[in-house]
Amino acid sequence: MINLAGRDIAHHLKSYLLTGLGLGLLIGVTLTMAGVYRGMVDDAKVLLRAVDADVWVVQQDTLGPFAEPSSVPDDLYRALLGLPGVAQAGNVAYLTMQVSHAGKSQRVMVAGFEPGKPGGPAFLVAGRPIARAHYEAVADAKTGLRVGDVVRIRRNDYTVVGLTRRMVSSNGDPMLFIPLKDAQEAQFLKDNDAIVEDRQRLTANPAINRPGQPGVLDAVQAIQTSSHKVNAVLLRLQPGADARAVAGAIARWQRFTAYTRDDMEEILVAKLIATAAKQIGLFLAILAVVSAAIVAFIIYTMTLGKIKEIAVLKLIGTRNRTIAAMIMQEALGLGVIGFFVGKFAATLWAPAFPKYVLLETGDAGRAFVLTLVVCALASVLAIRAALKIDPAEAIGG
Amino acid sequence: MADVASIRPAILIEGLTKRYGSGSAAVDALKGVDMTVWPGEVVGLIGPSGSGKTTLLKCLGAVIEPTAGRFTLGGEMIFDGGWKTGDLRALRRDRIGFVFQAPYLIPFLDATDNVALLPMLAGVPNPQARATALEMLGALDVQHRAQARIAELSGGEQQRVAIARALANKPPIILADEPTAPLDSERALTVVKILNRLAQEFRTAIIVVTHDEKIIPTFKRIYHIRDGKTYEEAGEGRAI
Repeated sequence: MINLAGRDIAHHLKSYLLTGLGLGLLIGVTLTMAGVYRGMVDDAKVLLRAVDADVWVVQQDTLGPFAEPSSVPDDLYRALLGLPGVAQAGNVAYLTMQVSHAGKSQRVMVAGFEPGKPGGPAFLVAGRPIARAHYEAVADAKTGLRVGDVVRIRRNDYTVVGLTRRMVSSNGDPMLFIPLKDAQEAQFLKDNDAIVEDRQRLTANPAINRPGQPGVLDAVQAIQTSSHKVNAVLLRLQPGADARAVAGAIARWQRFTAYTRDDMEEILVAKLIATAAKQIGLFLAILAVVSAAIVAFIIYTMTLGKIKEIAVLKLIGTRNRTIAAMIMQEALGLGVIGFFVGKFAATLWAPAFPKYVLLETGDAGRAFVLTLVVCALASVLAIRAALKIDPAEAIGG
Repeated sequence: MADVASIRPAILIEGLTKRYGSGSAAVDALKGVDMTVWPGEVVGLIGPSGSGKTTLLKCLGAVIEPTAGRFTLGGEMIFDGGWKTGDLRALRRDRIGFVFQAPYLIPFLDATDNVALLPMLAGVPNPQARATALEMLGALDVQHRAQARIAELSGGEQQRVAIARALANKPPIILADEPTAPLDSERALTVVKILNRLAQEFRTAIIVVTHDEKIIPTFKRIYHIRDGKTYEEAGEGRAI
């Protein structure tokens, strides 16, 4: 028996391919939207994976340092190092801000860390690690910075000495690692006018500026112009140590809140990006439904365009299942073409997105199956219409 | 010894009626049509618009069921209550050939496959079906266009391919609905000549519905249909 679908496709090859291309671009948008969602979730987790901390210690009763502000003393790490099971402790300070380079301003997440301790970049793809105590930086490649570039943060210039990759905040902003002290200064530094004003206010306060005790005023002013706070302390545990037990001990005895890596992941994914993820998820669902409707419409229209041929086929004795198979095969063919075009298109344009678009193989597989199912279901409508065509239409009258 | 099948009418209809709708809205398209067509005979069916020609053709083509009356095909009673949709489909495929005003060929198949499709639908293996198709195209003098796409064929060639398709399963009857309407006089007469030759060659009964004044004189017998009733008339049967 002749493959009617194959012959029909070959006969209308150009228009069939163009239809497949159009459908493919639609599927590409749907795949990209799924990739945006996956990328958003992955962005939320990537920092956790990169810093490789077992426990995050933050301000008591906060969801810091990303979901809520958190401030802890920068000497807390000493006490934490004394806890059983703790191998390493490192202070970190995070601040999202605009930095300028070559006249352009860019949004980054500045991460202050202590070299050699948890909190720094996991690996470098170029340059070297930070070796000096001040004014050196390691940037994520997505910032567009290169080794040797100078970037301005607040009032200071930092030289980029190394590049890392796939180190972004939960919002997708690329990270810029600098020494902890510099980050603390950037986070808490006041401008000169504010410092002068504070000094004047303190000097005018008789409770602080007591006659004969000039040291009190100096001490208070020194405290106000320096920071001894960090956003969190990251702990790496000894092999075999129970992260949840360590976190529990910290909460009980140190009066801070401690999260295991799983807890932090839960905070970032389920709380920080939950609304945005739901938004994209809903949009994705709507897009999938619209795509399915368009597929159904295309296949239905293609079938209606062949009413006369189908009537003749039925009149000369073609079985209904032969006609149904023809429509179904054409629909599935369209789905296959559309999927591969969509996958290619999504792969092609995904890197151009400012935020990470993660096209997972599993998602592609599911999308392929879903596309075929949608095409098959969509063709049912067309098959029903085709089977309703009266063979008498071929005779006319 | 005479062939028993040859002495039976290819088509015999008696008192065929067809009513559309019901109650006060009912319309009787056929009001007791009688018709006999013998194997190898080409008869004309002529009537004005709305006379019931198309309805009669649909009944004869086993596409619609008559309301009452008797319809036998080669001695076998059709629409006697025991016919299912699949049976009627097989009947149309194996025992009735259709030729339309427009060729209505399947545009995505070439000339050979348009003709071969019918035997293939009947379960004939592809090579054999194609051989039959080429034989039929040869009988219609269009074998040189066997591989041509439908859009590449002229109107006359398309109509010949359509006739070849109608003949592919060697049906005992062919229903031709205005087969010469889109053709000029010369081509129209050629088509009629072909139909007459094929009727003789394959012992096929052919009913030609037509308004075409050019070909009416070629029929030996003509059925006039008016207001749902048929009237037989001897035709001129002029040689072509």
